[in-house]
Amino acid sequence: MRNGRLLKVLALAALAAGLVSTAAAQAKTTITFWSAYSSDGPEVKQLETVIIPAFEKAHPDITVKDVTIPYNDLHQKLITAVAGAQLPDLVRSDIIWVPELANLGVLAPLDTTMPDFKTLSDSVFSGPLATNAWKGHYYGLPLDTNTRIWVYDPATLSKLGMSGPPKTFAELKTMAAAAKRKGVFLYAEGGTGGWNILPWIWSGGGRLTNDTYTKASGYLDGPKSVAAVQMLVDLYKAGEMPNIIVNPNGGLGAYDGIFQGKYAATLDGPWMFAIFSSAHPDTKLAGSLVPAGPGGSVSVVGGEDIVLTQQSKHKQAALEFLRFMLSPFAQRQMAEAGQMPVLKSAEGWLPTIHAYYDTYLKQIATARPRTPTPKWPQIDQVLNTEIAKAFQGSETVQQALTHAAHQIDALLQ
Amino acid sequence: MLPTRSTPSSSNAKLPEARSASLGKPSARRRRDVLYAYLFLAPGFALFALTILYPIVRAFQISLFHWAIVPGAASAFVGLKNYAHALHDPVFWRAVANTAFYMLITVPSQIVLGLLAAVLLDARMPARALFRTLYYLPVVTSWVVVALVFRYLFITEGGLVNWILHDNLHLIPHNINWLGARWTAMTALGILGVWKGVGWSMVIFLAALQGVPRVLHEAAAVDGARAWDRFRAVSLPAIRPVVAFVTVLLVIGGFNVFISVYLMTNGGPVDQTQVLLTYMYRQAFSFLDFGYGTAISFLLTLIVFAISLVQLRLFRRPAGER
Repeated sequence: MRNGRLLKVLALAALAAGLVSTAAAQAKTTITFWSAYSSDGPEVKQLETVIIPAFEKAHPDITVKDVTIPYNDLHQKLITAVAGAQLPDLVRSDIIWVPELANLGVLAPLDTTMPDFKTLSDSVFSGPLATNAWKGHYYGLPLDTNTRIWVYDPATLSKLGMSGPPKTFAELKTMAAAAKRKGVFLYAEGGTGGWNILPWIWSGGGRLTNDTYTKASGYLDGPKSVAAVQMLVDLYKAGEMPNIIVNPNGGLGAYDGIFQGKYAATLDGPWMFAIFSSAHPDTKLAGSLVPAGPGGSVSVVGGEDIVLTQQSKHKQAALEFLRFMLSPFAQRQMAEAGQMPVLKSAEGWLPTIHAYYDTYLKQIATARPRTPTPKWPQIDQVLNTEIAKAFQGSETVQQALTHAAHQIDALLQ
Repeated sequence: MLPTRSTPSSSNAKLPEARSASLGKPSARRRRDVLYAYLFLAPGFALFALTILYPIVRAFQISLFHWAIVPGAASAFVGLKNYAHALHDPVFWRAVANTAFYMLITVPSQIVLGLLAAVLLDARMPARALFRTLYYLPVVTSWVVVALVFRYLFITEGGLVNWILHDNLHLIPHNINWLGARWTAMTALGILGVWKGVGWSMVIFLAALQGVPRVLHEAAAVDGARAWDRFRAVSLPAIRPVVAFVTVLLVIGGFNVFISVYLMTNGGPVDQTQVLLTYMYRQAFSFLDFGYGTAISFLLTLIVFAISLVQLRLFRRPAGER
């Protein structure tokens, strides 16, 4: 009898426990977060093993499902998801896609959705924040920022008998010729799009468009822009730059070339250091400012924003995670993985994490954004196609940039 | 179907009369048979309508609009403007030429090499099963993997192809920029297509060759026919329908080339190696111009449809020939 009673009690207890745990599971909210954090370096690991567990510990009722997608596929994946109404709650979007997504109407305006938007937006750098603005509203908050600096392997330079990186356009030309004589390309660039070419146009004193982003003719094909691109074309035609600038797929990639000592340098963001320290720990890279031309040393702003989608069913939970990603803790964790933080308060501690951040902070002070327009993917394709013609020699630099400017004028209308 | 079964010896020329004769006296039993036949066809047709017909109709509809991709958003009707755009777009025509070039170099090579491999592997030889598997292996390998491998083979500095031709055999004076120019890149893509596809045509040809009655070969041999004559006069006529089948499918496959181009050149440099599907993909998924993208894919469908019709006509067995 006693045994039978005990059994009954146990059964009831088990049932109750089961019910409670089911109820708890039901109360738990799952939010989905898409990003292109890289698994070549430590970014994904940092997100999955440090940041998300810390967030879930602080918010036991929220589960974060993170989906990492290779950068080159993320834009297509987002577009497909827009068409199929299958967007996740949160996206870490490249800053150049935010106007496009906002223009499609699939993002929630954070300035009207978040009561504490002003507090958060005041805590981040204004340049990266501006990339979230579209038609009078802010559709996201910056998550990380970056720019391109001159990244080189000092060992290759010393083999070439060179004491340091080129500081000016003039030094770049002399050193590229000297490196060629020893069978090394001083500078490798993997394309002719805006990300690749704009640092040279801006450092050369040229422009892509006017200040209101409505016209490229007279700017992109102005004499200073032409001279800057001409310098690169001359280097390429003299055999002093590898062919990946025209044909990124057909040659030895910049990372492989630098690792093999065939290239001395490229321009790239801070993740390159993180990737090399995990993939090629024996290659100790160094960074310096983009060689200065008549316009100074001016690079291009890159980075990612975190955006909330309109179709998110758990906006409050998603915003909690968004706030967490902007917390000093998460920003610092990602800084260790090679992602530059956006918090103003980070300026003090950032160079203590990695020495190379110092150069990035200096470079970003003068860096400029690409044209904020939903048409950026088309503009970038125009730059890619038309400028490559100048490198191939089917058009002069002036012709190529004039053709590009006309097409971009039409896209900016 | 039915009339030919009832008169097995009738040739195609007699078909219309036979059909009208049987249709002239419909019986209840026949009507029931027809009903059953349609019932059995219905699930397959429903699937076909859902997965093939509906997307085609929908694609045509999208191609007439400046399509807004967000569900529920209003799209502007533009009529045939997307088609007019394509016909005046030089990159579209280059993509047509490149696709045709790819088809023209891959289809004949796959047929000739596939047939050659099939004939060799049909003969008695040691390790025959091993060779059959080896030839078929590329077919089941992932396109993505082999496209990336081929990209590395054809890289200018340090690629295996240049290393063999230049550094080892000294056949070329300097490294060829394979993927950097239109025709060398299209050739490299064609080589990949042939390498990947030969095994498939080989398997189909092999199955057909094994179906050719041995007695015919033996009779021809007795008559003094040599190997080449036997192949030409016995095997080839017997597998003619299979050759037609393989050709039609290869041509369709050639026009649908995408993954290898997307991964090896992505249509570059300067749109020199665009094929129809990579160009369509860029318009739709990079530029969000789904109207133009679907117009391109619809034009591709029309081209493939027209070419397939011509081929089926050409391959149709002349009346009376058996």
